Amino acid sequence: MKRIVLGAASALVLAAAAASAQDYPTKEIQGIIQWGAGGSTDTVMRSVTPHAEEALGGTVVMQNVTGGVGAIALNQVAGQAADGYTLLMGAENPLLYKVMGLGDKDYSDFTPINILARGTPILVANPDAPFDDYEGMMAYIKENPGELRLGATGPGGLPSVVTAMINTVEGEMDVISVPYDGDGPALTALQGGAIDVMPAVLGAAIEGIRAGNIKPLAVFDVAANDKLPEVPAVTSFNEGYNTYLPWGPFFGVFVKKGTPDDVVAKLTEAYAAGAETADFQELMDNRGFTMMSISGAEAEDFLAKWQQGTTWLLQDAGLTKSSPEDFGIARPGN
Amino acid sequence: MSRIETEHHDGTSDATPGGYEGQRRPGELVFGAVMVIASLVLLWNAYGISGFEALSAPGSVPMATTAVMAVTALVIFLRDLRLPRVAGETVAKDILPGPVLVIALMLVAYGVLLKPLGFLPTSALFLIAALKMLARRGWLWTIGVSLGSLLLIWIIFRIVFTVLMPAGIVPEAEAIQAFRNLFAGGK
Amino acid sequence: MDAFLAFLTVFTQPELLLLVGVGTFAGVYVGAIPGLSVTMAVSILISFTFSWDVYPAISLMIGIFMGGVYGGSRTAILLNIPGAPSAIATALDGYPMAQRGEAGTAIGITTVMSFFGGFIGIAVLALAAPLVSDFALKFQPRDYMLLAVLGILLVGSLSSGSLVKGIFAGALGIAIGAVGRDPLTFTERFTFDLSIMQGGISFIAVMIGMFGVSEALMQLHHVDKTAVRQKISRIVPSFSTIRKHLPLSLQTSTIGVIIGALPGTGGDIAALMAYDHAKRVTKKPQYPFGKGAIEGLVAPETANNAAVGGAFIPMMTLGIPGDAVTAIMIGALFIHGLNPGPMLMIDQPDMFWFIVGALVTANFFMLLFGLTGIKLFTKIVEMPRAVLIPLIMLLSIVGAYAVNNSITDVYWMLGFGFFGYFMRHYGYPLGPVILGVILSRLLDDNWRRAIISEREDLGRFFHGIVTSPLSLVLFIAVILIFVSQTPLWTRAKGKLLGDPAEKVKQ
Repeated sequence: MKRIVLGAASALVLAAAAASAQDYPTKEIQGIIQWGAGGSTDTVMRSVTPHAEEALGGTVVMQNVTGGVGAIALNQVAGQAADGYTLLMGAENPLLYKVMGLGDKDYSDFTPINILARGTPILVANPDAPFDDYEGMMAYIKENPGELRLGATGPGGLPSVVTAMINTVEGEMDVISVPYDGDGPALTALQGGAIDVMPAVLGAAIEGIRAGNIKPLAVFDVAANDKLPEVPAVTSFNEGYNTYLPWGPFFGVFVKKGTPDDVVAKLTEAYAAGAETADFQELMDNRGFTMMSISGAEAEDFLAKWQQGTTWLLQDAGLTKSSPEDFGIARPGN
Repeated sequence: MSRIETEHHDGTSDATPGGYEGQRRPGELVFGAVMVIASLVLLWNAYGISGFEALSAPGSVPMATTAVMAVTALVIFLRDLRLPRVAGETVAKDILPGPVLVIALMLVAYGVLLKPLGFLPTSALFLIAALKMLARRGWLWTIGVSLGSLLLIWIIFRIVFTVLMPAGIVPEAEAIQAFRNLFAGGK
Repeated sequence: MDAFLAFLTVFTQPELLLLVGVGTFAGVYVGAIPGLSVTMAVSILISFTFSWDVYPAISLMIGIFMGGVYGGSRTAILLNIPGAPSAIATALDGYPMAQRGEAGTAIGITTVMSFFGGFIGIAVLALAAPLVSDFALKFQPRDYMLLAVLGILLVGSLSSGSLVKGIFAGALGIAIGAVGRDPLTFTERFTFDLSIMQGGISFIAVMIGMFGVSEALMQLHHVDKTAVRQKISRIVPSFSTIRKHLPLSLQTSTIGVIIGALPGTGGDIAALMAYDHAKRVTKKPQYPFGKGAIEGLVAPETANNAAVGGAFIPMMTLGIPGDAVTAIMIGALFIHGLNPGPMLMIDQPDMFWFIVGALVTANFFMLLFGLTGIKLFTKIVEMPRAVLIPLIMLLSIVGAYAVNNSITDVYWMLGFGFFGYFMRHYGYPLGPVILGVILSRLLDDNWRRAIISEREDLGRFFHGIVTSPLSLVLFIAVILIFVSQTPLWTRAKGKLLGDPAEKVKQ
């Protein structure tokens, strides 16, 4: 009896799966968000998805699956069928999992639906810090070795990459690196004076800067940002940064590799439409993110370049567990 | 089946935990021994995280806490050794009586079946079996109450809070989408 | 004048009033079900209210927040299963009261005191937000660490049986909190090289297992015993009862506001600290603590509701979340085109006063819904246990799963349920385990930050403590509480005062 029920039910599931290619979506889609509720990834995904749903004519049920620097969510989606009913909504971190020893999967096991936007790093300081720009900070570090407390968010986080960049361009800095579990808590600590300087994403620091609670030192980009035109780009202090910039964290929606092409096309179209809505554009602009909304080969190319540049930077700074070479990630420029 | 000494020794309230001050209950010694061994394993594991590398190493707080666990577990065990057994209590009667054991096994079975079978069938089976066993009422009542409350829980969690429990063999997502389409009408 | 008008927004717009009411009502029930959390409800509301205006969306969220924090006490009192971590302390004395048939009184006093605490929290938010947020920012990693140590000393008051077993349980909790990848260095801790361990153990899963499933298993011992009949004739506490507890509730509300305002600590820690405080300052409770002392209800419930107002303080003044719920609300404000941050109060003071108004409204609704509908709730406990037990188990499973949509959490929850069952039988208190898990990261992360900031130098670390007034005060508090808990002191005090009641429990 039970056998028959089981058989009938699985037949139903199979039938539904077979039908999916033409009239996708025939059921609810799961969106797995790599980070916790209230974080930037969460906010971005929850604001673009309702627009994408409209274009798609389906429902995306979003869930936050946190832990393991996002690896839990990635593995969960990778473990589902490649039918387009499970989306991964993530940030840049997975591209570093392999070299950081955090997992053996990254975005190469996925097809990008849309790389929505990219953030710009900015170096900020406590307003009472005894320097006002990037140059002053470097001078202060030279005069007071081992005194400056620099905020960090763990290996592979934005601060670690920016710090690696500074170390590569300027030579090793003698500072104390204080770890926090995210840029939110670290920026809070910066305002409270527990740390002196922090590389953060512009969107997270911008309101604090406007209020004068946080002092901007330099934007880590090749040109000043429209949101903060008076803050100089770091390349104006040292040309050496041109090799690595522009660089920044990004947000994207992915499906498992092997998802039928027409499903990928439908999703891509939907998220591109979602990203184009004025509401979403305004939100991203307010938070200081640069819109990208790229997909297909362009997105694959972007991911590959990003991974090459960043993993090798971290490798040269001695922060990786294993060399990018072991995973076939070629040194940039080769 | 359920003779419990006094109200405040039954452990139902956390503020008045079970156990006896001057006596040891059946199985308490084994439990204590397991705690000692487990604490030592954890201590060893904590040492393996980073050793005595630095005060700020990721392993220092785990090492300190597991050391406290090991010491206290040992103290508890040694003290229990000297205590007399509670007269008239046995494991089968007072610690793990039949119903507790059966329900515990049912929970384990639930955990095993949840993923392959799916939330709805597993929960229905669990509720019907547990209710039948505990309440000893007719099948109609048992199945009615089980399915009714399951439906309520499912509506709250699945529909209102969009918690996607494992669907297993039930095509839940398709059903809900079909339902939505029905309401969306011409769209 | 503008501020006053903004404050009145909710009262003048029936739609908003209705939404706050609906939110609070839903919140009470969301909070009462273990595993359905306010955090979850609010994050779902973000998508749900996506196309709404910002005021209605925020109204609904605030209602849920206020009602939810309160709702956790319901199941704690009636079933000994805290609906949320912030209601753990409430179960300690609430459940013994329900066992005496005084659930109605317990719920009544809880409701009125939650209202009082909530009101104090809102008042501080409205009148002194910038002041408090400045103070909260002053907390350095070493201060958070000292605060965590202070919290860990609560093990003493949470373990009414054997203190050694309490310490064991507390240490176990801290170790449980450390499982998984360390958030600061991503080193694996206690994972035994298993990939399912990497994500760590959700502490809600631990709590639901230990309090929900193990409680249900325990109840199986007397499944046929009829439930205690609850007297629910007199629910609203008398004025003299309220006045008697006024000084205590003011103190515990203050604890609630400050702990709530600190980014990184919330209502759960506040409630436990308040409970400990009440135990310390109450000289002669009518019933002893742990056996249904009213003070044991007043303290945690004022504190966790005061923490709501507290959590809004850094959010409104600095754009820094005071807890998980305000973190999501900040996201919601972003989505609705606002820029929460230090400038929000300057650019859009209306928003601030609107939120204060909505909180006040939600607080009144909470009082209303709290004092009505008690009959329905007490019916739940009077249900036959044969029905109640399987349902509690199923709810525990769904609740554990819902926290992070993970089956692994369900396994943990069941595992800790069985483990907690044995702990109860053998006299190990469960409260300290949860306390340990809650405080684990606060202690570990901040200890490491503090010592890294001082370049691994203990001398510099202690120098830092004695030169900062805030750290010094916290440090002295730690020492005093520690000394007062050692058997030596208790014995000396007992001798000095000749008080035979001060029996040293071993």
